[in-house]
Amino acid sequence: HKCLVILCYMDEPELLCLTSTSAHSDTDHCLLSPFLSMVVSLESYIGWISGESLAFREEGVLSMLVTDSVLMTLSHRDNTWLLTVYKMTKQSSSFEMLRSCSVPLVSAGSAKENRSLERRPALICVRSGDTPSTSSLSSGFLSDRHVHLEPLLFKLLFGVDAALAKSPVILCGLPDGRLCFLPLHLPGTQLRVLHSLEQPVVFVGASVAVETGSGRALCLVAVGEHGRVVVIKTCKAASEGGSSHAGFTEGCVPGPVVWACVGQQCLYFSTGSDLLTLNLSEESDGTESRGWDKEASSKAAAGLQSPTSLNVCRLIALTGPTHNATGDVELLGLSVRGQLQRITLPVGKEDSGLSKSTPMQVSRSVRDLVSAIGDVCERASVLKSAIKFKNQLLQHLNQVLNISCLLMGWTNSEEKPIRCHAMTSWSRLLQKDSLNLMCVLDNSSPYFLEQGWTLSTTVFPLSHSHTPQGERSSTNFLFPFYNLHPGGQLEVSLPLSAADDTSFPITVSCALIFSLTSLLGEKELASLHNVQNTSVTLPLNTLTVDWLHALQVNSTTTHKNPTPQTNISTTADNIQAFLSSRGNRCLKKEEGTQTEKYSASVQVSSDLLRDTLVMKSLDLEPQAPVDVCVSLLDWLLSDGPGGVKRRHQGDQSVLNAPVVHAQGPSRCTVKLTAKEQILGFELQQPTLSLLLGYLPDDLTLSAKYLLKICGAAAKKKTTNTQKWLQLDPPVLEDWLKIVDEIHKMERLTFMLRLQDELYMMRWGKWISFFKYN
Amino acid sequence: MAHKLYKPVSLLDTWIQENNNLVNKWKQQEGGMNTWNQDQSNLKCLSSEFHKLLMKIQGVPLLADHAQLELTVMYNACVYSVALSQFSEAELLFAQATERVLQMRGEKPVTSDPPVFWRKIMKSLKDTDLNASIHWLLCLQWAVWLATCRLKMILELQEELSSALDLLCTEVCDDRRRKGKSPDTPLLVLDPRRLVELLRVCTLIAHGAEKLSEGESSEALNDLQNASSLPAPRTLVAYTHLLSGSCFAHMSHPQMALQCYRKALETDCHCVSALYQSMLVYRQLRNTPAEIQALRLLHSALMLPSATEPVIAGTHLLSQSLLLCSQSLSSFLSVPSALSVLHSLALKCVLHGRVSEGVEHYLDLLAVLHSEDQHQVSSKAPHLPRLPELYLEAGAALLMVQRPDDCITLCEEVINTTQDLLPERVVLEEPEQKGEAINGDVCAEHEDKVEMLLWSGAAYLLQGHCHTHLKDWKQAMTHYTRCMNLLMKVRFKKIGCQPQILSADMVDEQGTDLCVLQRLKGLSLCGRGICFIQTDQLREALRDLQLSLQAFPECVGAGLWCGEVLWRLGRRQEAAACWEKTWSFTTQSTAENIRLYLQEPQTGPLLDSIELRQKIQELVPT
Repeated sequence: HKCLVILCYMDEPELLCLTSTSAHSDTDHCLLSPFLSMVVSLESYIGWISGESLAFREEGVLSMLVTDSVLMTLSHRDNTWLLTVYKMTKQSSSFEMLRSCSVPLVSAGSAKENRSLERRPALICVRSGDTPSTSSLSSGFLSDRHVHLEPLLFKLLFGVDAALAKSPVILCGLPDGRLCFLPLHLPGTQLRVLHSLEQPVVFVGASVAVETGSGRALCLVAVGEHGRVVVIKTCKAASEGGSSHAGFTEGCVPGPVVWACVGQQCLYFSTGSDLLTLNLSEESDGTESRGWDKEASSKAAAGLQSPTSLNVCRLIALTGPTHNATGDVELLGLSVRGQLQRITLPVGKEDSGLSKSTPMQVSRSVRDLVSAIGDVCERASVLKSAIKFKNQLLQHLNQVLNISCLLMGWTNSEEKPIRCHAMTSWSRLLQKDSLNLMCVLDNSSPYFLEQGWTLSTTVFPLSHSHTPQGERSSTNFLFPFYNLHPGGQLEVSLPLSAADDTSFPITVSCALIFSLTSLLGEKELASLHNVQNTSVTLPLNTLTVDWLHALQVNSTTTHKNPTPQTNISTTADNIQAFLSSRGNRCLKKEEGTQTEKYSASVQVSSDLLRDTLVMKSLDLEPQAPVDVCVSLLDWLLSDGPGGVKRRHQGDQSVLNAPVVHAQGPSRCTVKLTAKEQILGFELQQPTLSLLLGYLPDDLTLSAKYLLKICGAAAKKKTTNTQKWLQLDPPVLEDWLKIVDEIHKMERLTFMLRLQDELYMMRWGKWISFFKYN
Repeated sequence: MAHKLYKPVSLLDTWIQENNNLVNKWKQQEGGMNTWNQDQSNLKCLSSEFHKLLMKIQGVPLLADHAQLELTVMYNACVYSVALSQFSEAELLFAQATERVLQMRGEKPVTSDPPVFWRKIMKSLKDTDLNASIHWLLCLQWAVWLATCRLKMILELQEELSSALDLLCTEVCDDRRRKGKSPDTPLLVLDPRRLVELLRVCTLIAHGAEKLSEGESSEALNDLQNASSLPAPRTLVAYTHLLSGSCFAHMSHPQMALQCYRKALETDCHCVSALYQSMLVYRQLRNTPAEIQALRLLHSALMLPSATEPVIAGTHLLSQSLLLCSQSLSSFLSVPSALSVLHSLALKCVLHGRVSEGVEHYLDLLAVLHSEDQHQVSSKAPHLPRLPELYLEAGAALLMVQRPDDCITLCEEVINTTQDLLPERVVLEEPEQKGEAINGDVCAEHEDKVEMLLWSGAAYLLQGHCHTHLKDWKQAMTHYTRCMNLLMKVRFKKIGCQPQILSADMVDEQGTDLCVLQRLKGLSLCGRGICFIQTDQLREALRDLQLSLQAFPECVGAGLWCGEVLWRLGRRQEAAACWEKTWSFTTQSTAENIRLYLQEPQTGPLLDSIELRQKIQELVPT
């Protein structure tokens, strides 16, 4: 036998037919229809069709049907449906066009409906029940697409001529909603419209309905896309005068109908979400007993409206029901995901409609149904909420994962998009001043920090060696928080008053902790056996709070005399700590000579300070006069490395004197003074010294010596010889040059006199000064 | 020669080359044996190629030195547009061409009225090199007008067109000379001279057909005679003969017409319409043997697999079927389908004494209807009667050739088919009222029911005849009775009256349902009466025969047998009167209009008129 393999290539709508050998011709014909729709998507397989297998070329073919020796295609061209009949010659695989009929398209108008015109029209071949089919296909009730209709109905629908000519009739359900028929062998007949469903026809088929075993279908069924069902059957004459005629019973089932097939007595159709069955015999009982009047028709329509659900979803194609060995009805369905399913209906399912149930049973079954609906409803809502919860959870975990990856990815803690900075502040509560550290978590990542995150800050002294036990004393603060938006900030404050002076500088290390417990709850967490770590710790940056940050500056306006409350040893320790903390920046350190008060001084090159601090402040406020000493103190007290700031209190934001009185964390008084020094001592009255030669008494001999030389050089420069009455002022360089020349001479002199030690005593300070300038 | 080698290839040359390549490509393809589909796709392909080339050329303003080329390419592109029936596209190209030419000449573009601008451009280009090229385009415009049946336009520009004709014909020698000189002139895809010849003949034919359909036969004849003298393809010559024949037939010169049809057939054996037209002439002349012969030929000609149209070189691109598409012409060329020809052949044979031959034709017809492979490519409806009527006609013919068994089988088919559909009661309305009925659907259904009833009745009647023929009186009577029972279901309704029983005087028109009904009644009663006579139930026979005469007074059999019964009953005077009366209206003139199965049976027991006359003569002296 020859079988047809049809490929319909939708992008370039041409029908390609090729022949190949196959064993079962019967099944092949039946399988053509699902095959056609499936193959549509297999565009890539177009490759293996060679030109020789091309049977004929036709555009826009949507559906096709094979009867004995005739192949029919239904195509959509411009504004017509074109039914073309080809004859297959037995010997060769060639096709010869016999006839083609067209019927004008009923324009749908809107683009959406026009798209639906591209769906596959339903084509079936109907024969009168008393005509034997000539081919091997004829074996009683055939496949879905070849039906034998009861002769009377056939004659009523398709006319006497078709019946006399024993012609098969092609019935097509067009996507524009019409049912058209064409007697195949009658010459000169056109496609005629039988009925209009007014919605795209999905399925046309025939059912045996009541009478079983005769092999002739008693009714024709057409199903529209939106659920309109038309059952066409013979109506016997009701009164004496009338005669039998074809009755069209319309009904509605819940749509959209994706696929339908018809069994002995039932119509099975899939809506995509469910598979439903509609008993056709029930309906026929009503009409037959009551005759054809309006009441009966409405009753019939009502009978059509109650399809039974079979609870199978996602079916896109079905094949006709078959009876298996045990008598069950079996359907084959193809699901959306490409799964082939065998659906077995319970025994007697098809007959169930015939057995009349008593009112008692009915009411009971109604109650059962109602309660069942309630159960299902409840279960559905529970499941729904569970699904919703799980979705949220997944979303949440996804965020967590994102953040973890983000933070792990950054090696340098300074650049992490989520990080902390801090600010120290003194607050007075209940007559007691306390030092607080305001820690701010800054989220500049694009992710939400949701529930379950905790900010952990660990405070411990940097120089822990000072504790006698040698153990690390650290304090841990945990701040759980909700939702932190991208770009948002979280402020937490932690007390530092517990720490005494000795513990400075303090390291504050920040970390984000995520724990699953907050997300799942203890119980659910316990059920997860394999999880060892229920929390994730993501280190952020580390902050350093030093002693300077902890200073409580006394305001200059309300100048109060601080009274030392702590003993001297502690203060000395403070200075010790301070010195050690600042050690790496010291150029030189000197121990003070006074006994009551401890003092420490740090020498910094004034030019260096000018370059860094003054230039910085000039950038900000170019007009303001700048004092190096003031800005040095300002810098010391306000700016700090490592993201920690000191909060300014009141109007002290700008210091106006190079002296700051402050209280340390343990209430000791601290005076910070910034002085600019030349040659290691302070000249109180430079004018007197220069002009009148007044020198302070407390100076050493060598200092006086050097001072006098410097003064002479300056006078030479300014007053006496070089720049007197000149427009340009004397310059520092000139003076330095002169002093240096003197220095060179002096050095030579001392070296000649072999007085190196004296030279070093007298000029040591100058040498060191000159080296740094 | 040397300097030519170094000359850079100019754009003009490449365009000419491209054009010539395309033309040569087409010429090669034309030579091959291609199917229609392949040709069509080739046409489409080349058409787009030419249009592309044209667009390239039109990218620069039209200058005198390449105007020739542009017009040539435009001509080629237009030829393809016309060949693909894209007439509006072609007209757009014409408008473009004229506009560009006028621009080149520095003249203002003119109105869109085609005759006006063509005239203007002709005047403007007279005595220039482009004169010939613009005439080619005019010819194509002519083709478009012809194909879209705008004969008026052609008439309006008659002068220009004829000048074009002259010009193109005189150009022949010119052309040859030029060909020898320069090998790189742009080639044409279709020789304009051939085109002009074709157009001239086609225009004359179309014009003639138009005139003929308007009834001005002599003018049409003039045109067609002109056309037949022109050189033209075989098919077109046949058309001219065919149309002249129709003119003669119209002017009631049937013999001349037949001559012309014969000429047409001799010229082109595929001109089937000539056969059909001559058949119609024979029918008009009542020359039945010739008509039957013509029908037979026509049928066999239609059954031949239609040979492909002979390809005529140079005009293959624009075929005559493309140019001749007017309604009036196609009505002259149309031929009924093979099936309806076969049916009328069969019917003619049976009606005119060649019954056995007719029966063969009927059987052929039924076989074709039942076979699955009819060569029914054309979808137009043949004028065939409904299938049950065909069955009944065939049955009647079978009975005539003494094959009652076959007839019974056929009738059985009809009865079985209609059986379930018969109405219990039906009201036949007056014809006038039926005509006015607006709700056509209900009316059609109702009519269908009446028809079905009548078919069924006729089938019973024929079965009765068959049984009578087989001398199975009892069976015959049963069938006649069945027929009558069916017919009794019909009530006749006049406007404003109650449905009533029919009487013969109400039948005034033949062929209506009413007439058929009365005829059926009369015949079935007559048949039953004859059966009663054969079984010697003379009283019943007399009743039936008299009823039959009431229903259908012209029934010869009933009249004669009625007399016979009367004679046998001893009422000889009445019998004689009855016979005389019957003979008085035995004309049989209406036989042709009555359906075959409603005619009185020629089989079964018959009375010899000569014997009857002798009986009367015996009676007169007494």
